[in-house]
Amino acid sequence: MPTNDNALQRRQFLGTLLAAGSAWAAPAAWAQSSNRSDGRLVVVFLRGAYDGLSALVPYSDNQYAVLRPSIAIAAPDGTAQTALRLDDTFALHPALAPLHPLWQQGVLAAIPAAGSPDPTRSHFDAQHHWEIGLPGHSGARSGWLNTLAEMRADNASRSVALGVGEANPQILSGAAPVQLVPRGKSATKQGALGDQRTRDAVMKLYAGQDSLSQAFRAGAQSRMETAQILSAEMADPAMVGREMAAANNGAGSAQGLLLDAQHLGTLMRQDRRLRLGFLSAGGWDTHANQGAATGALANNLGNLAAALVQLRRDFSQPNDVVVVCSEFGRTSAENGTRGTDHGHGNALWLMGNRIQGGRWHGQWSGLAQGNLHEARDLPVHHDFRAVFAQVLRATQGASNTEIERLFPGFAWDAALDNLIRA
Amino acid sequence: MLQPLPLPTFPSLDVNRRKFLQYAGTSVTLLAAGQANQVLAQATPVQQASAEQWRVLSRLGYGPNAALAAQVRGTVSLRGWALQQLDTAYRASQTAPVLSEELQDINAPLPRIFEGERLEREARAKLKSSGEPKDERQRLDFSGPREPLFFNREMIEKTAVWRLQSCSQPEQENPLLARMTEFWFNHLNVYINKGAVRPFVGHYLINVARAHAFGTFEDLLLASARHPAMLHYLDQAQSVAPGTGGAQGNRRGLNENYARELLELHTLGVDGGYTQTDVRELARVLTGWTVGPLMPSGFRFNLRGHEGGSKKVLGHTYPDGFLGMGESEGEQAIRMLAHHPSTARRLSLRLAQFFVADHPPAELVARLSQRFMEVQGDIRLWMQTLLESEAFWDPANRLFKTPLDYACSALTATGGAQERRHLLLTIGFLSNAGQPLHGWQTPDGYKTDAATWLAPEALTRRTDFALALGKQGENLDFLMPYLSPATLQTVAAQRPAMRNGLLLASPEFMYK
Repeated sequence: MPTNDNALQRRQFLGTLLAAGSAWAAPAAWAQSSNRSDGRLVVVFLRGAYDGLSALVPYSDNQYAVLRPSIAIAAPDGTAQTALRLDDTFALHPALAPLHPLWQQGVLAAIPAAGSPDPTRSHFDAQHHWEIGLPGHSGARSGWLNTLAEMRADNASRSVALGVGEANPQILSGAAPVQLVPRGKSATKQGALGDQRTRDAVMKLYAGQDSLSQAFRAGAQSRMETAQILSAEMADPAMVGREMAAANNGAGSAQGLLLDAQHLGTLMRQDRRLRLGFLSAGGWDTHANQGAATGALANNLGNLAAALVQLRRDFSQPNDVVVVCSEFGRTSAENGTRGTDHGHGNALWLMGNRIQGGRWHGQWSGLAQGNLHEARDLPVHHDFRAVFAQVLRATQGASNTEIERLFPGFAWDAALDNLIRA
Repeated sequence: MLQPLPLPTFPSLDVNRRKFLQYAGTSVTLLAAGQANQVLAQATPVQQASAEQWRVLSRLGYGPNAALAAQVRGTVSLRGWALQQLDTAYRASQTAPVLSEELQDINAPLPRIFEGERLEREARAKLKSSGEPKDERQRLDFSGPREPLFFNREMIEKTAVWRLQSCSQPEQENPLLARMTEFWFNHLNVYINKGAVRPFVGHYLINVARAHAFGTFEDLLLASARHPAMLHYLDQAQSVAPGTGGAQGNRRGLNENYARELLELHTLGVDGGYTQTDVRELARVLTGWTVGPLMPSGFRFNLRGHEGGSKKVLGHTYPDGFLGMGESEGEQAIRMLAHHPSTARRLSLRLAQFFVADHPPAELVARLSQRFMEVQGDIRLWMQTLLESEAFWDPANRLFKTPLDYACSALTATGGAQERRHLLLTIGFLSNAGQPLHGWQTPDGYKTDAATWLAPEALTRRTDFALALGKQGENLDFLMPYLSPATLQTVAAQRPAMRNGLLLASPEFMYK
């Protein structure tokens, strides 16, 4: 791993390379403090509605196996094909076994029935609601992570938020500058900009003051830095194995998540002003043949577990938090094709030293039909905004006014007051 | 990475540079963001005409090549030319597409595609633990027979090649037809990497999106509903009445995936006025719609899997008769949805966003919706209203190219889709840019707005593509009238080998 000195030299070098780019400021001093507002937040969004009832398995609820005759994860009996017991109520999917130590260390927690209060079963509407922080609103609005970036930035032209993977996710879109890095290995390449004469010519094409030229220049600078940092990091022998393990990623799939997580961790380690991160993976919309202990969903969960273990390595400072979420849950019963259809409430995961981990939080009312939303889905006992509000107040130093701006009209949820360690 | 090339030895012989500088004195600054109106207000009639030609060629197709540029320059009325394209494109949609010998598999009779898919599955089942042997063939090398094991891979590659050729070779495929094939494919999106969908995407593009591109929307929607690509993609092929016996004696049942997306995305839209009950009831109506591997249509109605009993979708009742009404229930429901006013609104908004502006005038969308209802979903007549609208021609309505627009327009300009390495380059660019060909996983299709695609780092990746694509080839002088003096001056100052790339990488080339 390069030291911070090397990183600084590299940045100064890059700054001079980019004649038309904006001046490079020295990185802010970063100290390992437990200041309550220095935390970094990473949101991992599982697009397509992941089946939380297969991840956090309510094995002791006798309805579970009844509702899911061919896809239920078997109750824990200590063997590899069954769930891993967490407590008397829940167990972990066996593919999530790498997360078990984190649960035992008390840095991983779950909220079994969380979500958006809006009842939509449309992926796209629901994702939009999560990303703008305003359930029920289908019009345009900045992503809440972008608005948070705006609040956290001490220099309006520098990005404090990083997205790895998607071209321009809604959650990061808005007025504040954000750094967006593509999925997979292409993030490590400077491309045509690596040749000075080409770079000079291209920068001249975009020397204007119009918004496209400004965006181009910002992009050129960001890309040069990104590629430098990542290619140096990935050349490190210690990283080669991990890189190889993630090399076969498909675009947007859960398999690509590990490499994206590595890139996110590296870039946020090298540039301490980056405090907000976003990752996503698709492939969770398991309407047919989702499998059980093994199969399509199990493979995705295994990839997710590997990515989270990686993120834990890079985000283990006192106030760092990783949140894993999805737009809604899936039907409590399996459908006619050994899969699940669109549901409502879902399990949400939080990881970090400040998280009161090793336990689940909030209300759980089981799978009895009378307790289900519209007699078919998990209810949303806890609004996702209330979950993030707890995290933001404790680790980002966000004030109530700021949280209200991010999530207009949200209500504080006292049932989650134990989510965060003091 | 590009290596510096030697400077031209005799700059005085650089005729081309003089041409650039000459043009720099006369051309219009088309497209500097936020300044377009001001600049256009000052532009001469010739400059305005160039701007209008650029917009029409870039929106009703994928931009100019030398021949198209000359063709529109020679027209008396550009609006007349545009309207004429509707008829030309419609006629082209009624003829078979040009497919070179090696690409014909993608449009083979469906039973043969099913057969290829089955043989691959069987070959893979035999592999057991020995693992997959390496495919010795290079990508996009289609010479000679290939092992059954790689059938799907080959079909995916061939589909990509045909798609790139048809969006960049105006003499092979009418550009407006290619545009509307893109529009309808994206509206009725399928994902080429989902297992059973893979070999059918080319056939779906040609026989659903292209064949019905200018027909009626209900025919298009029905063709999509019955095509194996869609039946597999949204799991409709497996959805049957609860309790129906499956192949291995196990019981199967309803899957509401297709019914939901049919309402939410293909027709009414999420706020179009349906409930979860409508989703469920529509799924019941459609039970038994499945693939027919031996049928020329690829479709089969499985009466045993169809759910009896009465159903009610959006107030329309499908009564409980003898075995229900069978297949015609679903057909009636789909026709009803195709003609619904909410569908007219949703499609009109999408059309206006695709051809006019990210946030099109409400008045235009209203007029298109009304027209759609009047002409009962006749796409050609509906699009006439679009092309006759002032909004379509208003230079204030700007559109930023998506990566696909950008790639296809650069290929069109350079004629690049004829070379394997350029096809590979393009396929790679589109993947990295976040818009892989036929590679959007979810049924909403790709977004087409600048808010999605105008991202700082992503812009620099267009440069990589442009410079690699522009490395060799004919000079692109025909682009000059469309570029700003600043761009022409910058390009003129560079060595000739870099000029084509820089033209394609210029700010003006990013807009359509």
